[in-house]
Formats: sequence, C-alpha cells, structure tokens
Amino acid sequence: MTEEKKTRKRLQANTALREIIAEFYADGHRAKAEGRPVGWIPPMNGLIELFYAMDVHPIFPENWAPLCAAMGTNAANFSFAERRGYSPDLCGYFRNNIGYALDGISEENQPLGGLPEPDFLISFGAGCVPTMKTFQVLCDRFDVPVLRADLPQVAMEDIREHHIEYGVTQMKRLIAFLEGLTGKKLDMDRLSQAVAYTDEACRIWDEIMETRRNVPAPFSAAEIGIMFVMVTRHGTRVAVDFLNDVLSEVRGKVERGEGVIPNERIRLFWDNIPLWYNMKLFNYFEKWDAVVVAETYTSAWTMRMDPEKPLESIAYKTLVSYPLVSCVSLNKRIELIRNAVRDYRIDGAVLHSNMSCKPISMGQMDIQRVLRDELDVPSVMFDGDHMDGGKFSMAQFQTRIDAFMEMLLARS
Amino acid sequence: MDFRGLLDEQTDIIDAEKRRTGAPVLGTLCSYVPVELLHSFGIVPVRIWGQADDMHHADGLLQSYICPPVRNLLAMGLEGRYDFLDGILHCYTCDATCGLYNVWVRNIEPRFSHMISLPYVDTDESRRYATAEFEVLIGKLESLTGDAFSTDSLAESISLYNAQRELMREVYELKAAGCPIEYADIYSMNVCSQVLPVGLVAAELREYLERTRKMTPGPDGRRILLSGSVVTDLPLLEFIESTGAAIVADDTCLGHRLLESRIPDGPPLESLVEYYLSRPPCASRADFPSRRRILEETLESHGIDAVIFVHQKFCDPHLSDHPFLKEALEARGVPSLQVELEGEGFTGQVRTRIEGFFEMLET
Ligand code: SF4
Ligand code: SF4
Repeated sequence: MTEEKKTRKRLQANTALREIIAEFYADGHRAKAEGRPVGWIPPMNGLIELFYAMDVHPIFPENWAPLCAAMGTNAANFSFAERRGYSPDLCGYFRNNIGYALDGISEENQPLGGLPEPDFLISFGAGCVPTMKTFQVLCDRFDVPVLRADLPQVAMEDIREHHIEYGVTQMKRLIAFLEGLTGKKLDMDRLSQAVAYTDEACRIWDEIMETRRNVPAPFSAAEIGIMFVMVTRHGTRVAVDFLNDVLSEVRGKVERGEGVIPNERIRLFWDNIPLWYNMKLFNYFEKWDAVVVAETYTSAWTMRMDPEKPLESIAYKTLVSYPLVSCVSLNKRIELIRNAVRDYRIDGAVLHSNMSCKPISMGQMDIQRVLRDELDVPSVMFDGDHMDGGKFSMAQFQTRIDAFMEMLLARS
Repeated sequence: MDFRGLLDEQTDIIDAEKRRTGAPVLGTLCSYVPVELLHSFGIVPVRIWGQADDMHHADGLLQSYICPPVRNLLAMGLEGRYDFLDGILHCYTCDATCGLYNVWVRNIEPRFSHMISLPYVDTDESRRYATAEFEVLIGKLESLTGDAFSTDSLAESISLYNAQRELMREVYELKAAGCPIEYADIYSMNVCSQVLPVGLVAAELREYLERTRKMTPGPDGRRILLSGSVVTDLPLLEFIESTGAAIVADDTCLGHRLLESRIPDGPPLESLVEYYLSRPPCASRADFPSRRRILEETLESHGIDAVIFVHQKFCDPHLSDHPFLKEALEARGVPSLQVELEGEGFTGQVRTRIEGFFEMLET
C-alpha cells in the first residue's frame, strides 16, 4: 500500500465521542451514588425519552455488548454464560450480557468501570427473542422491581391505529411505574422536549448519512460508532450537539472534496450488524479503492417524531425500531436497500450473514436476489458473527471478498 | 382408522373437504393462530407441519444456522407439498418463524397472507388490543371469502374446538392414570388436531376413547415429562417408551398446553381472546415466571420422575429457557436430560444419550 493511499477515515468527532461514551457510563455510576434510579432497558425504543424526561438513568445491556467486544471482555462473558448452561449458538449479545450480569459483574477490570446495578428493570415482550430472554435472566438475577409490559412485533407497513393506541397504554403504565419509583410526576413539557431532541437528532442523522451520497464519500462504515448517541442519548441535547458537530465536519470534507480514501472507485453497501470486535474490517476494502458508503443498520435508528404528540411518538418509535432492522418488515428492508442502491450509487453489496442474529439475517438470500435480478448489483455474503470472533474466519472472508472485489473492478 | 392412518391420508381428506365446501384452505405456522375464527368462515386451517423429502431444498433461502423445523417447513413449501393452500397465516412467536413467514410469502407467493401479533401480557388493555388484532384478521377473511363475519358461527366453531380439546384432554388423563396408551399415538392425535378438519378428528377421538376407556391400567414405569418445541420424530418418542418409561405429560408446541383451558362462555370474540392470552405460555412468549410455575405444578400433579428436553439446534427460545428450567428441576431433585436435534431425526447418538440417561436413573 503506497503512502498516499493511506486512509484518512477517522473523523475528528471520535475524540468527542470517546468522552460521550465515558460520560454516559460515568453518569450511570454518579446516578447510583446519588441515589437516583438506574434502570436497565432493552434498546431501540421510546422508553429512553421518558427516562431522560424523568431524570432516570438508562442502561442498555445491548449497547454494553459492543463495548465488551471492542475491549475484549466478551470472551470471558461468553464462557460465564456457557458454564451456566447457555448454548454457544445463542446470540452473542445475549450470551455477553447475561454472562456479564450473572458472573462478570463481580470481576475486576471491566470496561469503563462496569455497569451500575439496576434499581429496576423493564421487561418488554417486544423485539427479538434473545432480547426478551436477556431481560428474563436479568429479572431473575436482580431482586428489583420489574415492569412487565409489551409492544408486539408488527411489520412497519401494517401498523394501524390500534397498535399505536396500545403502545400509548403501555407508555402510560411505564409512566405510572416510574412515578411510583421516583415519587415525581412526569412533566409533559419535558417529555415533549425530549421527543423534540430525538426528532432533531434523527433529522441531523439523516443529513449526515446523506453526505455519503457524494463521491468521494466523506466517511465510511468504520465510523458507525457515532451511532452510540442514537442509541443512548436520544432525548437529550448531547445527541443533537454532537451530531451537529459531526455534520459540520463531514460537510467540510464534502466541500473540500475530501474522501475517506483518495481515489474512490467502488462504492459498497453493507447489510447486517458490524463485527464489533473487528471494526478495522471496513478498511479492508481500501486496497481496491472501495468504501462502504451505506448500511441497513444505520438507517434503522432514524425516524421522525412529533413533539406535539409525545406519547404517540414514543409508542411509534418503540413499535418500529425492531421491525425496521429485522425480517419482520422484510419488504420494507428491501425497499430501503433499493433506495440506498440508487441514492448512494452502490456498485456492490456485502452481506454479513450473522450467526448470532437470525432476525436480521433471515431474508438475506431474498435481498441478494433483488440486488441481482432487479438492481443489477453484484453482492457477496460471508459468514460471521457480530460479537463472537470465534465464529468468524478472516481467511474465508478474504477469499470471498478478494474474488468479489476483483469481479467488481473488472465490471467497472 | 387410527390417528396415524388419518395423517397418512391428509392430502386426500383436505382435497375432499375442499371439494365439499368450496371454502379456502389456509396454512398456519403457529398454534397461536386463532383457528376458531377461520373455521367460523368455513375455512379449513391446516398447520404446516412435517418432514420435507429433502431439507436441503431450503438451503438457497435459509442460512445453515436456522433451526431444522423451519428449514423443513420451507423445504416442504418449495417442494410443492402445500400448493393446495389458498394462503398462509402466522402469529408472531419466535424470530425464526417470522423469518419463515416472510420468506415463504416472497418465494411461494400465496394468494393470501397475514401475520397477527399478540400481546405478551394479559391485561384489560392487552385484551382490547388483541381483539382489534382479531378484528383486522376478520376483515381480511371477509374479503377472502366474500362472507360476513357471524358471531353465531364463531360460537359454534368455538364449541366444536372446545369439545375436541375436551376429548383430547381425556386421552392425556387416561395416559396419566396408567392406561397403556402409546405416547406416539398422543403425538399423532395432536398433529391430527392441527392438520385435519375439526369434526373429523373429534369423531375419531370418540371412537378411540371408547376403546381406550376399557383398557386396564398397566404397571407404572418411570413417569416422564417431555419438554421442547416441535418434536416430530416418532421413532424417538417410541424409543423413550420402549425402555418401559411412560411420557405422561408434555410441554411442547402441540401438546397439553393447548388443552389446559377451555374457551370460556361469553361473547365469542372476547372469549377467544381470553383463551389465547391466558393459555400456558410457550417459550417464545415473554412470561417466563408462569412457564416455570406451570412446569413445577406439572411435576407435582403428574408425579414426574424425570424430564427429557428435546430441543432443536439453533432454537433460541428453548435453548435460553433451558438452564432456568433445569435449575428449577435440580432444586426439586428431578433429573433431566437434554437432547438437541440437528435435523437428522432420531440418530444413534441421540439413542445412546437416552440409553445412558435411563441407565443413570437406575443407579
Ligand atoms: S443481534 Fe439480533 S438476535 Fe441478537 S439481540 Fe439483536 S436483534 Fe436480537
Ligand atoms: S420455537 Fe425453536 S424450533 Fe420452533 S421454529 Fe422457533 S426456533 Fe425453530
């Protein structure tokens, strides 16, 4: 690799991001120390806006898992889970999180000082089975109040009035539960404000993603970590401010015509969750002057919310978050990919067949067919796992990708 | 005729029924689909169930880490075994079947398809929500059949299903009381109730019970509870009982769980909702505490000596409940065995493990 080909991928914003991550977990520990309640909750839902509006600190085990993978404590957590009898075939998020909660939590040297123990748990029937089961285990593990509620899985295109109405009733149950716990009434204005922040964050997020339509693209999938604020800081200014900074930075790059790599030749689409323990993988494509410019995963965390209707908005967010990424709305997902291929001028697609995650991986062969037959976009699928490096073979990845990239180059 | 015989004739029976009534036949992917509603429209619900000629027919559409039952069902669809269906219906339970539903709809292209999603908690609001879910389905069935929904007709369908479940429950009771009924028969009865018209199965059940009630209870072997999702391997079930043990209770996809309660009297739609929400939960429903409680109660009520978990490889709901249930059993001193099926049916390895388990129980 020659010197001028060296990647310029890292965004400045990463420095701020590292602080935001540290601060999020430090906040949790502070809340704990000050006697403010900490609740562990499933990811991707409108509960977070409620939490922030009520000064309750949320912890997302599912966001903790990628951190463990990046820091390398995942393997230990997996073995705790296995020793407890959990099959190694189960989702890596599940195995990491319950392994951590059951045993890892008492180990020294956890990333960022570990997680503050929960003062209560929200166990939602919603999302995928492994997420539901994670909370089952947590409810058994921690002797704390639990709110059981749910929001069923409905394909996005099938959502009707009664789904939203039911969602609102569940949000009201949660509000009553949190009010009982904190002894404070929910201030509806604060909730509207939180919803407005999320809406704003989503709007900026869309703009950030859209800058990648430019050739050369200002950043690649290796920057997916900025999604942290979309998961943990929705409903707050932190997300809005940070994303605004990211937006100016990437816009600057676009204006200067500065791409992730100097001679961008091939633009790739990525399907499924990244390999959190190996984010460098996204740079592998550089040797062919190729960049990953769009992903299904990053599109799934953004939607518009209406501060005038805060309860409906958070119910809607909770309803659609999971169907958007998974096979619940396979048609929607395919539509999203169709649009991305057009808008981002995609030359080829890389599909990570993720052994951990059935809901996101099912339907990938259908996606490949649409890419081939309808869109004339070549694609390649490789076997991997978003959490467990033991289920990913770099050698196999290289063999598949090398052949694929040669083929794409020959086409272009 | 017996249950196994009826199963062999499924295709002819459904064909005849279709000719007789002219009504559509809808495939279902889960026992949470409200079959009573379909029946009230004259529709014949047929659970998509069984073994493909070659599971690999699904390889082009499903990754290798999807559970064998889902691979089997899709392979059967691709083999054309369900071409007689007018559509399919699903109720969200596990993620793999949700994927199956979507892949089926895209690739087999049924004329009609619909997925409902039931709530996980049983509250006033969730019942209202479930009623609305059923009403959406009703609207779609009205368009499909061109008939208007009738509460009276639903009430009739409910009483037919109630009666059938009552009879099936009696078979379980006789078995638990020591009657020499093979569990393989019970399994076939369960499948019949899912894949054949309700009236026909009830008639067979009446005859079967007539014969069985006269049998004298035999000596009591080891009393086994079978737990798992779908167990379609008759040889496996037969082998367990060939050791002298008796499977007197089950906690499986098609088993006793569906027979535990009746659809109560009252306004038919609301009663139907009540039945589906209050039924003992399967592993895919979020209510784990009830699942454990029901298991513990069954151990007591059926005097269970040992539990055999028959799991399918890559089955998230059951594999994640297993350590919990195992712990609950250990706390009560009830031994258990877990076998994981990989799609090859009853292999020598599975056999050896079961033999080993029974030997261990002897010592
Ligand atoms: S990775 Fe997939 S299976 Fe695992 S928790 Fe997330 S959605 Fe569920
Ligand atoms: S419950 Fe388990 S075995 Fe059954 S379809 Fe779902 S994943 Fe497969």
